[in-house]
Amino acid sequence: MTELILQSLYSGLLVGGAYALIALGLALVFGTMKIINLAHGELVLLAAYVAYTAESQFGLNPLASIPFALVIVCASAVLVYLLVSRIRVNRELNSLILTFGLGIILTNAVLIVWSANIRSTSSAWLQDAVVLGPLFSMRSEVVFFVLSLALAGGLWWWLSRSWYGRAVRAVSSNRDAAKLMGIDPVRTELVSFVVAGVLASVAGVAIYSSSVIQPALGHALTIKAFIITVLAGIGSMPGVLLGAVLLGVTESLTVTLASSALQELAGMVLFLLVLFVMPNGLFGGARRRG
Amino acid sequence: MLEVNRVRAGYGAINVLWDLSLTIREGEVTAIIGPNGAGKTTLLRAIMGLIPLSQGDIALHGDSLAGRQTWSIARHGISLIPEGRLVFRDMTVEDNLTMGAFPNSRRAGVAHNLARVYELFPRLAERRRQLAGALSGGEAQMVAIGRGLMAEPSVLLVDEPSLGLAPVMVQEIFGILERLKAEGRTIVLVEQNTHLALSLADHVHLMQAGRLLLSEPAPRVDLQRLHDLYFAR
Repeated sequence: MTELILQSLYSGLLVGGAYALIALGLALVFGTMKIINLAHGELVLLAAYVAYTAESQFGLNPLASIPFALVIVCASAVLVYLLVSRIRVNRELNSLILTFGLGIILTNAVLIVWSANIRSTSSAWLQDAVVLGPLFSMRSEVVFFVLSLALAGGLWWWLSRSWYGRAVRAVSSNRDAAKLMGIDPVRTELVSFVVAGVLASVAGVAIYSSSVIQPALGHALTIKAFIITVLAGIGSMPGVLLGAVLLGVTESLTVTLASSALQELAGMVLFLLVLFVMPNGLFGGARRRG
Repeated sequence: MLEVNRVRAGYGAINVLWDLSLTIREGEVTAIIGPNGAGKTTLLRAIMGLIPLSQGDIALHGDSLAGRQTWSIARHGISLIPEGRLVFRDMTVEDNLTMGAFPNSRRAGVAHNLARVYELFPRLAERRRQLAGALSGGEAQMVAIGRGLMAEPSVLLVDEPSLGLAPVMVQEIFGILERLKAEGRTIVLVEQNTHLALSLADHVHLMQAGRLLLSEPAPRVDLQRLHDLYFAR
């Protein structure tokens, strides 16, 4: 029993890497534009299907398909941004409706292009077992977990050290003041969408490589990312990382100890429990907003 | 150097500035005083392009600023130190200051300008790693001023620097403005505290209800007359 629990903690931790990338993208866009991109999970899904096509049609290892996923997903993210930026009044609310609709369109586009069949990688190298003491995983899980950590580290560096990363934070902190510094908020918003697209691309390929994909997955991923972002306390990067691992672990423990049918429900229960005890999220604590 | 020419501006249907004209001269401290609601802050916001002009023009060194975006005006060399500070609360003091140098042409001078700001405000050097949201009102005002200086502006617009500060802190802030004046900077100071403004200014404009009531060199200002105009309805 202990081994089972240890194993599911480990699996949960590994899947948390991809969840973190998805949630960080959602949180980044929310920070700069104060909108929740409900089509974000579909962008991740798109990356997963790009990896599928690259593998099944051109025999590429999913890792090698990341550059193609980057191009296609970032272009789609820019398209979503261009549509959202056309909203003139009440952007916070209207963008919910718009991105929800875009998500449906993307899901159905995926359905038309790739059909409703369940897909997963056929790369033997990625599916090889990696044994770490008593713990097992597929090689893809470990590879993409490390990649996710590296990307999260890169994002942290970008946000805290680079000019544009700091400009993104300045715009999310105080839009008018950022303009007074000579920062063009429109370009900053676009940059945040592209960076979210980069994170989504890698997350999508990760999910394709270590799990199964089908067209309805995008919506589920958006919900997971949203849960993590709120759990974290909006705007907290360590919170997002912790929230992602917490969600991954909760899901995998639920599958191990109860039933895989309860996996999605477990995330929601975790969400309600945390918000009940800590209404500002895990890291939202004493921060004053405004 | 900064010409405001028959400017009309306001918020939506409510007009605040009525055909306002004034000239800011290089190397001078120009004080704009007046009661609450006179349109002083609105004038600064109009100069920065935060609200659009419905009529008239504003020009810096002869280049029209009307219709330009705020960030483009800021890159052009005008810094506004906003009322209520508007610091980036979730960023450190040093990151706040650094963002002042965001325009490409200013980035090379970051290290030098940071050192200058820390020399002006030693207190900020002590708090460089703290979040700006955790500072006192006076310290936040120092961050706002320092951040404005990081852009090496040709004109510094300062909106109500004494607002909500303890008297000791007000003295300290005005001491800094004094030093900036001595360096020969062009400063536009919006202030409700007439005495403080007059002590610093080379030229004084009195605004009321979106118009200029008085425009005089500071030494010629007759306080009694100024107060009569100030409180006249």
